[in-house]
Amino acid sequence: MIWKTAWKNVWRNKVRSLVVIISITIGIFGGVFAIAVMNGAIEQKVDATLNDEIAHIHINDPAFRDNYDIQLSVDQPEQTIAMVRNMPGVEAVAPRTVITGMANTATKSAGVQILGINPESEREVLQLCQTTIPGTGDFFDAESRYQLAYIGEALAKELNIIRYRIDESMLDSLAKREVPAEVLEKLVPFSGHRFKSEKSFKKEVKGVLSMKEQHEYGAVIKEEAWSFRARSKMTLTFLDKDQMQTGAVFRIAGIYDIKNSMYEMSQVLVQNEDLAALTGMASNEYHQLIIRLDDLESTKVVSESLKGKLDGLEVMNWKEIQPELAMMTDMVSKFYAIFMVIILAALAFGIVNKMLMVVLERTKELGMLTAIGMNKKRVFSMIMLESVFLSLVGGVTGIIISKALISATARKGINFASYAEGFEAMGYPAHIYPVISTSFFITVTVLIIITGILSSIYPALKALKLDPAEALRTE
Amino acid sequence: MNNLKLAWRNLWRNRRRTLITSASIFFAVFFALVMRSLQLGSYDHMYKNAIESYTGYIQVQHKDFWDEKIVDNTFAYNQQLEQQLLADKNVEACIPRFESFALASNGPQTKGVLVMGVDPDKEIHLSNVKDKMVKYRLSPEAIEKIRQDPNLPEKVKELAILFENSAYTNNSRLQLDLGIDDKKASELMPAIEGHAAFKNGFIHLGEPGVWVGEKLSQYLQLGIGDTIVLISQGYHATTAAGKYEIKGIVKLPLPDIDNKIVYLPLDICQDLFNAEKNLTSLALAVDDNQDKAIAQTVQRISGLVSKDQKVMEWREMNEVMVSQMDADDKGGQIMLGILYLVIAFGVFGTVLMLTAERKREFGVLVAIGMQKKKLASIMTMEMLLIGLIGILAGALVASIVILYGVEHPLIFKGETAKIFEEYGMEPKMAFWNIDTYYIWQMVIVAFMVLLAIAYPLRKIFGMKVVNALRA
Amino acid sequence: MKILEIKNVHKIYNSSEVKVHAVNDISLDFEKGEFAAIVGPSGSGKTTLLNMIGGLDTPTEGEIMVDHTNLAGLKSSALIDFRMRNIGFVFQSYNLIPVLTAKENVEFIMSLQKWNKKEKDERTYELLKAVGLEDRINSRPSKLSGGQQQRVAVARALASKPKFVLADEPTANLDSKSTETLLDIMEELNKEEGITFIFSTHDARVVKKARRVITVEDGKVISDERKK
Repeated sequence: MIWKTAWKNVWRNKVRSLVVIISITIGIFGGVFAIAVMNGAIEQKVDATLNDEIAHIHINDPAFRDNYDIQLSVDQPEQTIAMVRNMPGVEAVAPRTVITGMANTATKSAGVQILGINPESEREVLQLCQTTIPGTGDFFDAESRYQLAYIGEALAKELNIIRYRIDESMLDSLAKREVPAEVLEKLVPFSGHRFKSEKSFKKEVKGVLSMKEQHEYGAVIKEEAWSFRARSKMTLTFLDKDQMQTGAVFRIAGIYDIKNSMYEMSQVLVQNEDLAALTGMASNEYHQLIIRLDDLESTKVVSESLKGKLDGLEVMNWKEIQPELAMMTDMVSKFYAIFMVIILAALAFGIVNKMLMVVLERTKELGMLTAIGMNKKRVFSMIMLESVFLSLVGGVTGIIISKALISATARKGINFASYAEGFEAMGYPAHIYPVISTSFFITVTVLIIITGILSSIYPALKALKLDPAEALRTE
Repeated sequence: MNNLKLAWRNLWRNRRRTLITSASIFFAVFFALVMRSLQLGSYDHMYKNAIESYTGYIQVQHKDFWDEKIVDNTFAYNQQLEQQLLADKNVEACIPRFESFALASNGPQTKGVLVMGVDPDKEIHLSNVKDKMVKYRLSPEAIEKIRQDPNLPEKVKELAILFENSAYTNNSRLQLDLGIDDKKASELMPAIEGHAAFKNGFIHLGEPGVWVGEKLSQYLQLGIGDTIVLISQGYHATTAAGKYEIKGIVKLPLPDIDNKIVYLPLDICQDLFNAEKNLTSLALAVDDNQDKAIAQTVQRISGLVSKDQKVMEWREMNEVMVSQMDADDKGGQIMLGILYLVIAFGVFGTVLMLTAERKREFGVLVAIGMQKKKLASIMTMEMLLIGLIGILAGALVASIVILYGVEHPLIFKGETAKIFEEYGMEPKMAFWNIDTYYIWQMVIVAFMVLLAIAYPLRKIFGMKVVNALRA
Repeated sequence: MKILEIKNVHKIYNSSEVKVHAVNDISLDFEKGEFAAIVGPSGSGKTTLLNMIGGLDTPTEGEIMVDHTNLAGLKSSALIDFRMRNIGFVFQSYNLIPVLTAKENVEFIMSLQKWNKKEKDERTYELLKAVGLEDRINSRPSKLSGGQQQRVAVARALASKPKFVLADEPTANLDSKSTETLLDIMEELNKEEGITFIFSTHDARVVKKARRVITVEDGKVISDERKK
């Protein structure tokens, strides 16, 4: 009976209740959705990091990671690989050689890490090979008499392997993509021009286009101006096994784009046999084994059992390899909670006000209920229930709307293109697919109920202080 | 009976509700201000770190250098230009630099590094390099000595192990990391400072020798007195290679720079790259570093440089960081937006209740002869007062926190500090002093309140007295 | 001298289901100095009539002239102003402004009319004395009994020296002793100062005191008696 009365009481003054309910809906929706976006960005980063960059587990000499000493290779690589591959839970293993060196083109140079890989096994472990920018190569697929290197987009830009150019054919294809003539006209003066860098290209183009034109056609223009010179080459230099400087010219076998400029800048993939020929290492000598598991959840179990079996080798799972990634996931969930609590605290003010009003307005009625024998506990719980119902109606609506919008945007994602540079520099994608776990919704619901209860305490106490006789007398 | 008095008494009659509503506004304003202050403070701190340890506020460069940092894009030192630059009222010093990339190696360890040829005496005008020189280091030997020291508490020893290999540019950070409070400092610190002391040296023009970033030194496993080999490409594609003794280790607050920087005396660096007397940039130390003053200075200086040179300000040179901060800033603003929306609804709810409750009173007032306009102005005043109480109280309390925070930034210690450092951040949160952002928060809240008033005003002007009296 | 003329006034409420003829062709004249009661059962239309006289409601048909001014000819803010200067109101449930003291409530209209302080103080004291509350000048309504609050309301109604005072069931919420005090005060004000009072009531004590009794039923005047 109390439950039913409390529920009906919520709807006695519809307008007033709706204002409170809508404010709760907006608060919860805003909070949950903002968190889903943040969480999406982080999950994408974790996914991308694991799928494209590090896989789940690394095995190497215990001292290797300190300074990537070329001498510290894995003992008995073939047996170890076979053993690891047969472990339950392991999906694939790829061996690598890891060397520090420099990449040079005619005009520019950059410090890089050179990964000597075996394309077949690499494909089984990482999805990096699937991020090749179309038209730049095929990840070591084609037979070639040259030595090949697979590099990141950021490095390619830095080394001027990717350039921006505006010419007639580029303007033609822009016209085909429905870029209006007046915009094309503004670009004509640049025709035949090769830009030194992405930055100077952007600056020059921005200089002639209006804000609106930049916004509408900027991306298309950039895409069309992007040019990769087929058969581009670069030189890789490094020290060989005997500390002698060595190096060779490599032809670009593809450019990968994983939206993480730091990784793109520093990791160059080459075939291990090519690298071994230069370093003087045996072709079956490796520094590191990277492992992909069937299931992310089994990371800990598998890495523990590998640790037990591999004496004299260091086994690290992704949480140990990138502690900041693991830590961020933890810190961020704390941040979510704080943010929700702040929003709920702000909402609580509105609820307290509304419930206080309810109590003062119903003085007479509450007096009557007490007079006919409803005890204090019941009066108290009736008011508390009303407050909880009020909060829940708003909260659940907010959750439903968030859920709907999250599923609606989850497929296409939300594009923060204007901040792409900042996002990508931090290793985050600028195109975010919001996502949040179901357990978060449960936590939020519990928090809403708690807010409802806490906000009703003061008004309910106020109700208990009312004197029934006095209450009945009030006109 | 003046309107204000009536409005005030009405608020007082319903003080509980007034207080709750004002409190909600207080809450929002307080939060918004403190959060903005911390955000702006941390951006400023990051920017200052970047500016002071690397770019400076303004640089004069070869026009292509920034896009293509190669040795060919340099310009010859020109005393006349320097004199002209120094004559500008906002330019304090001209700091010549030669910046390039090289492969650094120490035996088997190699790494791409940023080579910076500097004039150590002039560099002081921009970045106080002396303050950035490592003075203490918790090396394994230092930790062993600390562990053997019978006078030191266990907790200090544990923390010392946690911070193994950390380097310090001053003793206060060391004290914080080891969790020693100020009272015990005079008793414990001298001994620890003795154990962890790090002997560091200078570089001078004309003397071959380098300073390396602390993280880089760890990576290459180099210490004072060791030799570092630099290999690169010199002027007109010549080969550049050299061997240098490490004279000192500096710790820059920017981990991304700290792990790749090598400082060389300017002339030694020019020799290495066969660059004669060429420079890649002239960094300018300025007197007034406000955005406006910088922009004006850039404009003035742009007239002085030759057409092969260009003037860049710190925002352009730290584009990525500025864009990161922008994204973070937008995120913060969205959160405040949500908070404000919630509070706005709360205020609106209050207004709604207040209007319903006083419908009859409004009716009576109009019946006995009060004009609706006057009634509306009383109502407006009441709401503005509620808003004002909240805003002022919020601003006041926030000011106390912020003014204190500006003087005493939040400095984390122990394990928390470790987490910050692993993120590549300084374990410090700075506040930004009271500024225009204050006005913005207040304007937003005032606007919110005004919007909420629209409802009772509509009710008042559309009121039918007979109906109101019957309520 | 006629201060109020009601000519063939009708009031029809059109609600969705029924049409209610609340006032059906009433014509009445009031002279200065009257002490009149409009009586009738609830729903007879007396409150509607009173609201129209006070300019709070408008007739569907017919006109109401207060001191030769047609109320229908006034715009809303002019009407509010006219009401303030010419008509005093006393409500069934007192309706004092809760945040103001007795004195401030009485002064309220004078302040709206921008009287100077001395005049205001004198008049307020005079009025509160007349209703026997000169010792409660600084009490808030919540500290006064119902009867006392209604006496303040009468003082407030008289503040701007109106042509007449409309009192809608002024005694409905009062006990008999308060009723008697209130009626005595009003009667005295009527006799000594010639203030015109028009009540709506169904309280026999009021009817007994009234010198003119107008009986309304189903929106029509069925009797209009003057006593000696």
